[in-house]
Amino acid sequence: MRIRGFFLFRRYNLLVFVILLLLFALVLMSLRAKQREGVEFFDALLMEVCSPFQKAATLVIKTVQGTFQHYVFLVNLEKENRMLKQKIAELQEENHRIKEMKLANERLRQLLQFREKNSPSMIGAEVIGQDPSSWFKSVTIDKGERDGVKKGMAVISPAGVIGQILKTAPHYATVLLLTDYNSAIDSIVQRTRAKAIVEGKGVNRCQLKYLLRAEDVAVGDVVVTSGLGGNFPKGLMVGEIKKVDKKGHGVFQYAELVPSVDLTQLEEVFVIMEPLLPSQPQEEKGKKGKKTKK
Amino acid sequence: MKRIIFPLLAGILFLIIQTTWLPSFPIHRIRPDILLIFTLYLAFLFPPIFGGILAFFMGYLMDLFSGNALGFYTFSRPLVFFVANYFKERFYLEGFYSQFLFGLIFGMLEGILILILMNALQPLSFGKLYPLLFTLLLPQSFFTGLITPLFFFLFQKGSSLLFPQPDKGIKERV
Repeated sequence: MRIRGFFLFRRYNLLVFVILLLLFALVLMSLRAKQREGVEFFDALLMEVCSPFQKAATLVIKTVQGTFQHYVFLVNLEKENRMLKQKIAELQEENHRIKEMKLANERLRQLLQFREKNSPSMIGAEVIGQDPSSWFKSVTIDKGERDGVKKGMAVISPAGVIGQILKTAPHYATVLLLTDYNSAIDSIVQRTRAKAIVEGKGVNRCQLKYLLRAEDVAVGDVVVTSGLGGNFPKGLMVGEIKKVDKKGHGVFQYAELVPSVDLTQLEEVFVIMEPLLPSQPQEEKGKKGKKTKK
Repeated sequence: MKRIIFPLLAGILFLIIQTTWLPSFPIHRIRPDILLIFTLYLAFLFPPIFGGILAFFMGYLMDLFSGNALGFYTFSRPLVFFVANYFKERFYLEGFYSQFLFGLIFGMLEGILILILMNALQPLSFGKLYPLLFTLLLPQSFFTGLITPLFFFLFQKGSSLLFPQPDKGIKERV
């Protein structure tokens, strides 16, 4: 009987393995949905191993792209002018580097001003990778739990809202962009103060959900965060309405908006560590900032 | 040992290419899936048990760096591997067109599976998702299929350096 059972197992062991592996994947899905710590620990561990390579690759790609754009295209020159042209190329390269530095300087100054103006409890982070699939919209940043980054924290730039933290590892984190299907941000239309939820719609588009039909909304209206969700401070720009459609019947109307930030060109972002409530007085703001600095 | 280490390292390398180099191209929507092509190639090279575990790991890596919080690829990649492994004897895989078709079909099958999972496990209406079939799934699968012959050729060259007679596949040790 035992022997028969063993042979049956040998015969079906491949099928059993396939089923077990797929079941394990489904169990993992369920554990993730329940946000169990064991899975998160393993996720963080793997992310820590892979992200430094990702960071290095991003650096190499940026350098190679810069070289291609500003040096390699000048290689096909006439022979007699090679030396001279090379000199020009070197100067151009230097010029480009200085321009890049100037642009970076301006960008960083803007970021610093933005940070000082809004909330001192923010940290800057660099984008080191994009989502590997086309179905979901996310980026990986080089700041994680050790820097105080936690799940659900808001990620912004001077131009507006970017998204929120989805997964964290000790030194890295994944940001769910506002264009992802799973993203939802509590917002208001700046002009009319109409409340709505901004949901991702995939490729660089979002939609306004639960926007009452009676509300006055027009193309070109700016949508800002309401501050009610708790993660985002009030008044941050989310995007601009591009299409309004009061199709059919029902309580709600439909509006489509384009994010104010170009999410395909992200380089530096800010993570808001402690969102300040809109009603909090300025003094408390200062205290909170000092606390986090400690 | 090298038959474990190299595919794992290759998987991490392709993931890095997919998250850093491919997004730098201007056409974001039709980004081909190199890790899917690699998983398909594993189906020809590796036996089901070891290859299945490798495919599971590839899916896990994809999930780790994507905005997908539940882990769809951890489920879909081993499934794709097993189906490709099952059909590998029944599929004539010499030449550009058959390899293109292979990449295209599996790209679409996985995409449909992801759509079904998204629809089943997340509160998204299918009406919101079905335009993706034409705007995202078809072009992406097409481009994945288009580069499949090139990557199969490269993988074949790479595996011939590492394993003796890779075209016959790697036998599972019992």
